[in-house]
Amino acid sequence: MTNGHPIREDEFELFALGVIAGEECASIQAHIDACPECARKLAEARGRVALLSLAAPQQNPPAALKQRLLETIRAEKSLRAVPVRGTRPAPRWWNTIWAPAALALAIATVFLWISDRRLDRQLHQMRQATQTYQAQTQRDRELVQILTARDTMTVSLSPMPQVPKAWASLKYNPRMGLVCYTGDLPAPPPNKVYQMWIVPASGAAVSAGVFMPAAFNQGRVCVAKVPRNISCKAFAVTLEPAGGMPQPTGAKVLAGAL
Amino acid sequence: MNRAHGAEQNDSDWSLLARVVERDESALAALYDRYSGLVYAESLRILRDSGAAEEILQDLFHQVWRTAEKFDPARGSLPGWLLVAARNRSISRLRRRGYRDSEELNENSVVLPCGLETTVARNQLLGRVKAVLSGLADGQREAIELAYFEGMTHSEIAEHLGAPLGTIKTRIRSALETLKQALA
Repeated sequence: MTNGHPIREDEFELFALGVIAGEECASIQAHIDACPECARKLAEARGRVALLSLAAPQQNPPAALKQRLLETIRAEKSLRAVPVRGTRPAPRWWNTIWAPAALALAIATVFLWISDRRLDRQLHQMRQATQTYQAQTQRDRELVQILTARDTMTVSLSPMPQVPKAWASLKYNPRMGLVCYTGDLPAPPPNKVYQMWIVPASGAAVSAGVFMPAAFNQGRVCVAKVPRNISCKAFAVTLEPAGGMPQPTGAKVLAGAL
Repeated sequence: MNRAHGAEQNDSDWSLLARVVERDESALAALYDRYSGLVYAESLRILRDSGAAEEILQDLFHQVWRTAEKFDPARGSLPGWLLVAARNRSISRLRRRGYRDSEELNENSVVLPCGLETTVARNQLLGRVKAVLSGLADGQREAIELAYFEGMTHSEIAEHLGAPLGTIKTRIRSALETLKQALA
């Protein structure tokens, strides 16, 4: 145990490897679900353990597999319905021959089974797409609520000298959270991310989440929940290791007071 | 927006993912070229069945295409997620357990200790990991490979090898510590 956390440092790797079982495993999982700091340590342990996969003999997949993947996604993009092909009527003379008819039936059964699997997969994909749209709708709803609430405040974050062109506009609502729109932030160095901080009137800074600038500098909106009972004084963005840190450690790149 | 294939070799994972969100096939193809070998080799080693390994590889990249917008590069790396998801699915199939098909890109964040975006970086890391594993004692290497590639727990490894549970725990802990030190 370290600093009140029930997980020893070496247990993160063991948990990521999957060798811990039973109640011990459930207890670790329960703590990680509730502790961002341990979740970050587990993410790092997972990364180290995942590198054991490199011990496998290296072998490339067949070239045709890539083509099949691209054909699948092209078919989905075009939103064409898969035509349901009917079985061709058997020649009349087949009706008198039992064995070929049985063969035809077997082929049709296999064909229908394949079609059924394909339809199942399509249905599954459509369900996943629906879940995605629902999550996006919920996020957009929260965004609109924050932007239109009467008690929402606007804060402009100013750039530090190392990112002179960067900018950020932040809408802060103490009840609902904050929305930040950033622009012209350069891509962070490898294994680094930007992290948003809420600076309270007293006490240590509170993380409002990590984010990456969008490609092509067109800006990126990030929405974050704000802990209740916090009296906010200012906001800042720092450069931190991938996954974020519990407290700011890196260079400040944007800052603004409420 | 499609771009010449050569240009994509230098793009970062997150900029390629941003283009996948915009439904750019060439970006997905670039990510596939970059990581399919690692993912396929891992699944093949676990399953020893090229057909099953191909199916897992295709499913994973299909999922990247369908749900790329859910992936938050700030929480972890794409190759890390690919390797962990490929292992989970392969072991589930090997041991005939069901995996959560809802395993989303933004779940189970994985932070790799180093980048894998270039061929040089991948090859260097490959050499380091192989060197670490070949430097382990036979018992340690055997235990860690049973855990990683067969999905066995401490108790299962002890039973499989006919060794005391405490011995197996010590071997695995030591092997992981060696790996951690080597990658620090």
